[in-house]
Amino acid sequence: MSHSAEHTAEAPEILKEVHPAVKPRSAMVGHNRSFNWITEKICGIAEEKTPVWWWWCFAVACIVASFTVAGITYLVATGVGVWGHRNPVNWAWDIVNFVFWIGIGHAGTLISAILCLLRQKWRTSINRSAEAMTIFAVVCAGIFPVFHIGRVWYAWFLFPLPNSNYIWQNYRSPLEWDVFAVSTYGTVSVLFWYVGMIPDLATMRDRFNAVGKTVRARLYGFFAMGWRGSSRHWSNYEMAYLILAGISTPLVLSVHTIVSFDFAVSLLPGWHTTIFPPYFVAGAIFSGFGMVLTLILPLRAIYHLEDLITQYHIDCMCKVILATGTMVGYAYAMEFFIAWYGANPYEGFAFINRAFGPYWWAYFIMITCNVITPQFFWFKSIRENTTLVFVLSLFVNVGMWFERFVIIATSLARDFLPSSWGYYSPSIVEIFTFFGTFGVFSVLFLLFVRFLPIMAIAELKAVTPQADPHAGGDHH
Amino acid sequence: MKRKIEHPAPSERSKAGPRYWRSLDELADTPGFREQLKKEFPQGADSIDGVDRRQFMKIMAASFALGGIGLAGCRRPEEHILPFGKSVEGAVPGLPVYFATAMPLRSWAIPLLAETHQGRPTKLEGNPGYAPHGGASSLLAQASVLDLYDPDRATAHTQEGKAIDLDAVKALLTGVGKAHQAEQGAGLAFLADSSSSPTRARLVRRLRLALPKALWAEYEPVTDEPPPTVARAVLGGNVRPIYRFAKAKRIVSIDADFLQAESGSLAYARDFAKGRRVAKKDDPMSRLYVAESNLTATGSMADHRLRLASSHMLAFAAALAGKVTGDSVYAKAAEGLTATPAWIAECAADLLENRGSSLVIAGSHLPDAVHAVVYALNQFLGSIGSTVDFIFNTKPHTVGIDGVAAAIAAGTVKTLVILGGNPAYNAPVDLGWAELQKKVPQVIRHGYYEDETSALSGVHIAAAHYLESWGDARTADGTVVPIQPMILPLFGGLTQNEVLALVGLLPDADPYKLVFETITAGTGVNAERIFTKFLHDGVLDFDLNGRVMTTAFKPVKVRYNPIAVATYLKGAEAPAKVSLDSLEVRFVADARMDDGRFINNGWLQECPDPITKISWDNAILISPRLAKELKIDSPANGLKQIARKDLAEFDKGRENAHIVELVIGGRKITGPAHIQPGLSNYTVVLPLGYGRTTVGRVGQGTGFNAYAARDSKNPHIVTGATITVTGEKTFLADSQWHWSMEGRDLVREGNLGEYQENPGFAKEVGLEAESPRVVLDPTYGDRTPANKASEIPRGNSLYKTPSFDGVHQWGMSIDLNTCIGCNACVVACQAENNVPIVGKEQVLRGRIMHWIRLDRYYSDGKADAGAFGGEGNMEIPEDPQISMQPVACMQCELAPCETVCPVNATVHDPEGLNVMAYNRCIGTRYCANNCPYKVRRFNFFDWNMRSLDSLYLGPMGPRGMPELVQMVKNPEVTIRMRGVMEKCTYCVQRIERGKIEWKVKRAQEGHPEDVVVPDGTIRTACQQACPVEAIVFGNILDPESAVSKAKALEQDYALLGYLNIRPRTTYLARIRNPNPKMPDYTELPLSRVENWNKNHPAKA
Repeated sequence: MSHSAEHTAEAPEILKEVHPAVKPRSAMVGHNRSFNWITEKICGIAEEKTPVWWWWCFAVACIVASFTVAGITYLVATGVGVWGHRNPVNWAWDIVNFVFWIGIGHAGTLISAILCLLRQKWRTSINRSAEAMTIFAVVCAGIFPVFHIGRVWYAWFLFPLPNSNYIWQNYRSPLEWDVFAVSTYGTVSVLFWYVGMIPDLATMRDRFNAVGKTVRARLYGFFAMGWRGSSRHWSNYEMAYLILAGISTPLVLSVHTIVSFDFAVSLLPGWHTTIFPPYFVAGAIFSGFGMVLTLILPLRAIYHLEDLITQYHIDCMCKVILATGTMVGYAYAMEFFIAWYGANPYEGFAFINRAFGPYWWAYFIMITCNVITPQFFWFKSIRENTTLVFVLSLFVNVGMWFERFVIIATSLARDFLPSSWGYYSPSIVEIFTFFGTFGVFSVLFLLFVRFLPIMAIAELKAVTPQADPHAGGDHH
Repeated sequence: MKRKIEHPAPSERSKAGPRYWRSLDELADTPGFREQLKKEFPQGADSIDGVDRRQFMKIMAASFALGGIGLAGCRRPEEHILPFGKSVEGAVPGLPVYFATAMPLRSWAIPLLAETHQGRPTKLEGNPGYAPHGGASSLLAQASVLDLYDPDRATAHTQEGKAIDLDAVKALLTGVGKAHQAEQGAGLAFLADSSSSPTRARLVRRLRLALPKALWAEYEPVTDEPPPTVARAVLGGNVRPIYRFAKAKRIVSIDADFLQAESGSLAYARDFAKGRRVAKKDDPMSRLYVAESNLTATGSMADHRLRLASSHMLAFAAALAGKVTGDSVYAKAAEGLTATPAWIAECAADLLENRGSSLVIAGSHLPDAVHAVVYALNQFLGSIGSTVDFIFNTKPHTVGIDGVAAAIAAGTVKTLVILGGNPAYNAPVDLGWAELQKKVPQVIRHGYYEDETSALSGVHIAAAHYLESWGDARTADGTVVPIQPMILPLFGGLTQNEVLALVGLLPDADPYKLVFETITAGTGVNAERIFTKFLHDGVLDFDLNGRVMTTAFKPVKVRYNPIAVATYLKGAEAPAKVSLDSLEVRFVADARMDDGRFINNGWLQECPDPITKISWDNAILISPRLAKELKIDSPANGLKQIARKDLAEFDKGRENAHIVELVIGGRKITGPAHIQPGLSNYTVVLPLGYGRTTVGRVGQGTGFNAYAARDSKNPHIVTGATITVTGEKTFLADSQWHWSMEGRDLVREGNLGEYQENPGFAKEVGLEAESPRVVLDPTYGDRTPANKASEIPRGNSLYKTPSFDGVHQWGMSIDLNTCIGCNACVVACQAENNVPIVGKEQVLRGRIMHWIRLDRYYSDGKADAGAFGGEGNMEIPEDPQISMQPVACMQCELAPCETVCPVNATVHDPEGLNVMAYNRCIGTRYCANNCPYKVRRFNFFDWNMRSLDSLYLGPMGPRGMPELVQMVKNPEVTIRMRGVMEKCTYCVQRIERGKIEWKVKRAQEGHPEDVVVPDGTIRTACQQACPVEAIVFGNILDPESAVSKAKALEQDYALLGYLNIRPRTTYLARIRNPNPKMPDYTELPLSRVENWNKNHPAKA
């Protein structure tokens, strides 16, 4: 007994205070790189002699882009009939591609604006290229709604221009909302991207000036708008950037919400769903980050940017994909639940048809890519395997394209009256036009890589360890 | 020029008050500002410092120079155009003129009114002056105007391939007459199609008098009247039956498609509908029993339908007669019948209960003995004189094609004149007609097209279209109707009458006079007046001192001869056993191509078959059972069978049909097989009229030729055929490829008993009946479900709904109880609204343009229950009930298409029409996506300006519409270009014209305030064509209008009413009248059973 009592007395004291384990914050820039190194690295990409691989990629991209040009030319000259659309399925790849590209365009602004406001410093190394991706994706997206219409030469009817026949736009139509949502989004994205680039353009101007390349210096100088890096410039710049971030933030949510209204506002079973806005936004962020990874990982490998795009960055992006992918999965499940719970036989059929009807293969591609793929990112080992991350990001892109296809085509193909049911399959023209847009996107992105600072140099420097006055454990 | 302005100095008072200033400069009162104030035009003050003389001269000189050089006298020269002095009297430019005419068919004619615009006929309507049709017309009549403008019609008379002029033709024809005159016509043979024309009959009589030894033969490949020999033997006279369906309470059809295929079907359909229409609980309704092998329009209307091989129809008729009469004479013939005895027994009992008001009909194609039994049945049931009358049969008894063939083979025919028809294509194969025709030294062909027969003829004489001809004809009841030309023959064609008159060496072959003489024979001084009235009215009747005498035949008394019936029965053979190894084959006239004569008509080609829904082709129709045994039944569609199996194998939305080879008596027929529910298990149906070889561009390559296996011995029904699957496949262009309603409440049906207990049953079937309350309206609970769907007061919505303040509110009611699915509305709409055709390739791609379509559903009561664990059948039903539903734009009051159009191209008008502004449409197609009825049609290509074979060439292809085709277009309706959405507008052009005419009329009468058009003045094209008056259109604001009354009926319901889009077109539920004692009786129609099972899975 005494022994045990003794034992009790020897028990350690209860801790007065509990400190969580100190986990060092991941460095935003690896290897303690200097400011100069960063400048040299990023400006060097644009300054070096055009690499051979770039020319090859550019040539291929141009050829692929020409598919879109040819496809659209044929379409406009001949009629929408060259696509595979048919009576019940009046929208198909055209709108699928539109929503797909717009969705991709989401990550850019999300990274730039929302993460900026939330002070997520890891955004700095990827925001520039993500914004570029956004703009180029919006360019690709814009092709489809414009050219899918029957009489493209009257597309200006969509804009509120005064005309003599006194017919105004119909502001009840989600397509009209789209016109404003997408054009606003495009404009703000370009502004945001451009404003953020001004200090870096000035850097490049100065560097070209220093080596006597006056033509390029003038060109960059023109776009740098006389940036001299004065405190006053910096102050205005920071404020402008913050304001733009504030303006962009609601746009991130609004664009895809409004795109989802194209479907949610209709009365078609499978489209007429209130879950669409959040589900579309989550899906868009999901696909956007998928695309960012698809673009950045090769870029990182080619230009050896491992110190700037660190494993921490990749980790963060994978986690966003995991979160949004799971949200999307939840939405898929909830759609089915509501269709069952709503007890509307038309609604119920639309969803059963999606999963088990003639388009079941598309549905299961979607589920596999969008719900199962991101679950791999629970595992650190997978997040750290860059090749695997790249492959999985491709799956995300494919899955999100199929999600739009499933929503659009399956709902239209079998709706209210079985007498009008049909089956849609694309024509070769449609397929080529879509694949061509990857060329368009690549051409633009390659030009961006070649001529513009692909990372925000100034901002990167701000997140280096040296920029922290407390760097090196020196507690002042 | 400079003006100085002195501003007054500020007064004392203003100095004391509050001082206002325009700018800070004014406040500071700078010298600069004071200078500024003095200038009249401060903005331009620094540039123009006054104008000096030199400057003035310079400017003015330049102005004058410019004026002088470029613009002096720049005025358009005045040119005066003068109106065309010579015009048709009474013609108002822009307004159509109507003339009475008639479309001649095989053995009858359809009286018509032709709408002409500036002298060209564009649209045909039934002549309302002919009461039995009541202004209705048929599919073929509606489409026939297109043939007039067919660019592929024979455009010249030819001799040995070289064009000859009209004088040469006339000389040639009189030459033929003269050459054979000496020998009284020996060596001269005529082979004509059949005709009801009194003038032709007169000319033939004359010809036979003049050339008694000439051979006159008539041939029609398809029959639509019972054989006259049977009537002569059994009823003792040259008579044919005419049925009175409106009087019949019980009708038994033995393989007779009297609603579509039999002579006079238009009047029959109308009459039948009268007996079926119910408005009140206790309205009587006829009951239709059908025994048939093929699934026909008539079969789709049946209350009880017995699938039975056509070769068993005699046994069936005999069994029925045995039960009805109790006479043992029928026993032997009834042996070997496989049908359920209870079916026949109960049917017979029902007939007996309704003696005097029951009717039995046999299909014209059936063997003589069946007709004899049917006459006996009608005699026993007391139907003769009540539900069936017999009238004089004008059809001359002539030699058939076999007679001519024999004469040619004997070498006695030196000159053969072929009038109409197309024997080289459709003669029985055992005759070897093509070879025979080549043996004749001189063949003269009179035909509308340069066809297979023309190719083998030395001379082809281009025939005039009936809209270019003077002529006459008889309707099915014998009424004489005129055929008036609406236009001079476009290519100088001749009529048959002219040819006959020329060969018959008549002194005057003027077509007008030929008709005039026939009609006015023996009327003396009244001739002109009678003829004028005849042409004006479109029917021939004589006004004898106030008593109107029609030319319709009076019923004649018949003497029934039972011995003749017994004689017919004695020769009867036991029905052949049918099985997979010994199939029965039926040759039927195609519903659109008829015997093949309409094959180059694009409207008919694109019009889906009423039952199979296939366009641009015919198919070998096989039963689901046979398909299973041949292992070509359709595979599952999707991962799991969630909707019922499709009728055929579908490949990317196109029916990919197996090509099968059918061997009939050693002759092979190869064609695509289409699985057709409702067919007798081992009956294979071959629609005739396709597979033509010498044909215009439209008909080229469509279908297969079923005549190739048809001989003169068994032209309608053959047994002993075998079938093999070749393994190849081909695409068939269906306009509808899912056939099951999937348990949805689309076509709502009830049995008569249920209707009598609960006339509003249709309102309790729909989803809207179970929908929760959607708007805040205190009266909501008191409203009936249909009322909820269509009448909820507006104002609870954020959106501004259309005001609907027009004096008319247009609406439509479609009676599903009477619709027979005949397609007349589809083509009537096409003709009226310039709806383009798109060709097979595009129909396959789901781009058919029809503004009104006929949805056809099959149900067997078992659909989809399986999905919920109950006993279901996901297979194709063998013995389905058929439901038809015409669907056009519903003109929803809260139209979902309107809200989604970004450019306001589709909007509502104050009278409730959902109108299209084609010029505004940019073609987003969102409206079509959001239309739950899928009635919007998109112009994927420039259908009107591009030829159908070069749609994909775009600008590289030829552009423009042939001039001839342009002529058929209705000038009151826009031709839509590519990229534009189009749809039904309730014929807005007719509405507007009706309103204008009424307004003008009332204003002239001194009542300009009376702008409400009386009911019935404005009729939509579909309504006007409908033979069964299923479509009613009018002003729903007027409670007395026909449409309001129809909508007020209890069985009225809105299709997809639960969507709260408030369609202006509503439907009257279909009511079936089954006999509770029948073995196949079900308490609910099968579609209702499916609906119940779907929505109450637990209780199923």
